[in-house]
Amino acid sequence: MAMKPAEEGQPRLLARLAGPVVLLALLAVLLAGAALFAGDYIQRIVIVIGINVILVVSLNLSNGFTGVFSLGHVGFMAIGAYTAALLTLPVSLKAVNLPNLPGWLGRLVLSFLPATLIGGLLAMAVAFLVGLSLMRLKGAYISVATLGFLVIVQVILINWDQVTRGARTFAGVPPHSTIWNVWIWAALSVYLVWRLGSSAFGRAMRAGRDNEIAALSLGISVIRSRLLAFCLSAFLTGVAGSLWAHFITSFSPKSFYFVQTFNVITMLVIGGLGSVSGSVIGVFLITVFSELLRNAERGFDLGALHVPPIYGASQILMAIMFVLVIVFRPAGIMGGRELDLRALLRRLARQGRKKEAE
Amino acid sequence: MKTRLAIVLVAALALLAVGCAGKGGNVIKLGMLYNMTGSQASLDTPSANGAKLAAKEINAAAGVLGKKIQLVAYDGKSDAATIGNSATQLVQTDKVVVMFGFSDTDMVMAAAPIAAKAGIVFVTSGATSPKLPDQVPDYLYLACFGDNVQAAAGAEYAFDTLKAGNVYLLIDKGMEYTLLLGRYFKERFTQLGGKVLLEDNYQTGDKDFSAQITKLKGLRAKPDLLYIASGPDDVGTIVKQFRDAGLKEPIMGGDGYDTPLLVQVAGAGAENVYFTTHSLMDSNLGTEAVKKFIAAYQAEYKTPPENAFAGLGYDTVKLLADAIKRAGSTDAKAIREALQATKDLAGVTGTISYQQGSRIPQKGVTVILVKDGKFTLAQEVVPRVVPAP
Amino acid sequence: MSPLELLLQQLINAVSIGSLYALMAIGLAMVFGILRLINFAHGDLIMVGSYVALLAQLLGLPFVAAAAAGVAASTVAGLAMERVAYRPLRGAHEIAMLLTSFSVTIFLENLAIILFRPTSRPFPAPAVLRSVIEMGRLRVAGLDLIAIAVAAVLLLALTLFVRRTNIGIAMRAASQDLLAARLVGINVNRVIATAFAIGSLMAGVVGLLWSARVGKVDPLMGFNPVLKAFVASVIGGLGSLPGAVIGAYVLGGLEILLQGLLPAGLTAYRDAFVFAVLIALLLFRPNGILGASEREKI
Repeated sequence: MAMKPAEEGQPRLLARLAGPVVLLALLAVLLAGAALFAGDYIQRIVIVIGINVILVVSLNLSNGFTGVFSLGHVGFMAIGAYTAALLTLPVSLKAVNLPNLPGWLGRLVLSFLPATLIGGLLAMAVAFLVGLSLMRLKGAYISVATLGFLVIVQVILINWDQVTRGARTFAGVPPHSTIWNVWIWAALSVYLVWRLGSSAFGRAMRAGRDNEIAALSLGISVIRSRLLAFCLSAFLTGVAGSLWAHFITSFSPKSFYFVQTFNVITMLVIGGLGSVSGSVIGVFLITVFSELLRNAERGFDLGALHVPPIYGASQILMAIMFVLVIVFRPAGIMGGRELDLRALLRRLARQGRKKEAE
Repeated sequence: MKTRLAIVLVAALALLAVGCAGKGGNVIKLGMLYNMTGSQASLDTPSANGAKLAAKEINAAAGVLGKKIQLVAYDGKSDAATIGNSATQLVQTDKVVVMFGFSDTDMVMAAAPIAAKAGIVFVTSGATSPKLPDQVPDYLYLACFGDNVQAAAGAEYAFDTLKAGNVYLLIDKGMEYTLLLGRYFKERFTQLGGKVLLEDNYQTGDKDFSAQITKLKGLRAKPDLLYIASGPDDVGTIVKQFRDAGLKEPIMGGDGYDTPLLVQVAGAGAENVYFTTHSLMDSNLGTEAVKKFIAAYQAEYKTPPENAFAGLGYDTVKLLADAIKRAGSTDAKAIREALQATKDLAGVTGTISYQQGSRIPQKGVTVILVKDGKFTLAQEVVPRVVPAP
Repeated sequence: MSPLELLLQQLINAVSIGSLYALMAIGLAMVFGILRLINFAHGDLIMVGSYVALLAQLLGLPFVAAAAAGVAASTVAGLAMERVAYRPLRGAHEIAMLLTSFSVTIFLENLAIILFRPTSRPFPAPAVLRSVIEMGRLRVAGLDLIAIAVAAVLLLALTLFVRRTNIGIAMRAASQDLLAARLVGINVNRVIATAFAIGSLMAGVVGLLWSARVGKVDPLMGFNPVLKAFVASVIGGLGSLPGAVIGAYVLGGLEILLQGLLPAGLTAYRDAFVFAVLIALLLFRPNGILGASEREKI
């Protein structure tokens, strides 16, 4: 391979950076707009979208890129949530709600960022231990085993009540999650997974997913790449758990079980496995759409027409939509490919030029 | 494809804006949050029905302060995020003056802090955890009794009236409600001098209790009473399986038993089952207020009230209307003070009074006995000693 | 009760539960064997059958007719599921099919919630299903014995079916190698439909027995059973019919054993132990007890 002359290299680097920088700037503007002008309700939705983006993008890292279809990731979310909440809960509340905590934990209070990091790291550590044994399994067996992991986490949460308050509500978590810190994490996650996906490691992961034996014959350590992806995605999921805990401020083990699992998987599937931009778009569409439906199902007036409330209609419609997407577009909205902004812009520019010529 | 996407997005945002616009007008808005779908629906739907009935009656009379009251309803879907969003909409878009609803602690905790932050009271019609008011200081009120009260009433009735000296305790470990109920019962019962022979547990939604039953039957000394802290969805199955296994001792529980499912699912096994609840919804044996309520509910919804939670929803709206009336305005602070000052307000589920500094009402407990497939009144109990929350 | 009686009682409990799991697991295993599809919506077939049986009884039909209606409804629902949701995805990636079955589940459950309200409804069952037989100090529910008997009969019938009938043999062929089966002229569509029909029929039967045992039906009732069936299939080896049966009885036994033997402080951790055992098992036998190590095609 000929070495590229330095002068060619630099503009190339700038060109590569331009894309993400523009996107980030755009995002910052939108977020500032929401933070300053939108009411609490819209801000809540923006935060939820942000957290869901982290969840789906990190799940995509494992499920989409490596083909390890983990059904138990919400277990990592729970680990991150409970760990971080335990670390940020003020001492007075701990004394009242969790009187049996070990002394050092009862006195320890950390700020949001270290607590979140520790939550994520703990989730990652658990993922490493669990993954060591599970990554050797194949296909459906991995899914069942990770499902088992979810159940085990749930049972431990419900029963280790000195630390988790068992089935009872864990309330009083300080509301540290804001639009800004949630979306900084979201942007970081998207960037991380994107870069990983388009790197050599990403290609190795996808090779292991598509044809394990061929990948092995090329010297790719399939198990190691799966484990790494699994651990990294667990870290991000744990972080998302902490962000969620400090947004919703009260939760219980039920919040991190099958309902949440279905929600995340729905968003993942609609966006498309293996596509990071698909995940982001999928999350946005689903969250907005389901909020709309929820408001609509309360009944509304369209001029003279009065539509009465049909509670539950939104869940059904979401399920129908899910079925339609799976049947007609099983690869999701983005079809497993990434959104190529430059190509899109070029196409739009070409269309514009065509119109001018007419 | 991309243009279609853009159109959908624009339409979406438009609808969002429209959906958020509240109605103006000369009404007093009460925010009503119940789970019309999801796991909590069996308790919340009757509550919502009761509440709507109360609002209808109030508006048919003079309304409150010369205006009609309007219940702004949201479905919580038994999901914390949805509840949080709904509560935020109630505060921000609909601008309600009070909020009420829910029969479960988790649901209440997802909404009450949002109301409190906006300076609005939240009254729960059916969440009986006595720990709730401490979690949300100053703004969270219960319209029902606390679990410590009903457990103590049950313990005293079992020990004093049923003369039970030994009991077997079975607790659902998956619910805060049952965990607390069981704990308070054990505390009061042992305080009275009774003995718990065996304490066992299960998970919410378990369908098979053969292992627990076998363990119980393996006991050498037999208990006089089986106290089973269970939610409404499991109680029928549990009672049925215990009875089918030949266990004839009286069974006792809390207001989770107050559901038509108990008799429907357990059938003849529901005989000799006792439970503590808010009131007896019986058109023959109930109080005058209960009879009138049942008749009105039947006329409105073509079915008698499914359980006492219907009465709780009804009483909550009446409670709030009364507080607003005494406050003389829709100012949130005035309403809160008037609410705290509520004294001897007669309702379907008992008389509501808030002592100074407490946001849990002093209410009596109704002990119900299932006889001949019907709920009958065993006794009205006001416990002498109540375990601390 | 003497320890021996206790043991016997628990054994009967385990076999009875195991029988129900076995009937469910077989349905899952048959479909997986041929299509490599894990049909999560299998649980909802249980729900469909139970609700139809309930409605039939509410309409006045005697129990036997209502039961038949319920089983028929499950079978039809299963066939419809195959035709509408799974056939278009024939040959797709395993994950896509898994997700489709998720979506079918979500759809059916929410539909049931809207049609039948989210609360449970009592399930009337005739006296014979609620009877209790006393043998010494053992009390055996008539239902348990019926469940064991029905499971035995159905499993026997199924074994004869896959060994002796043409279409049964065709099913086994398709399960071994779908492409080769097509090449020798087997009508794969018909075989798959038959597999679904049989599995759904079994699910319908399980629905009746389960509802009678629990006493009620609710829209989400199928979720837990399908999870158990899933685990049972995996324990025994996905795709293997005898494996599914063995896995089911192992699972039933494990559950009852743990519930009975764990000290009181730990019984709540029962499900965790069950899954821990499952994971441990998968580590030593990644394809389940009877699962053949699949030779990968290069």
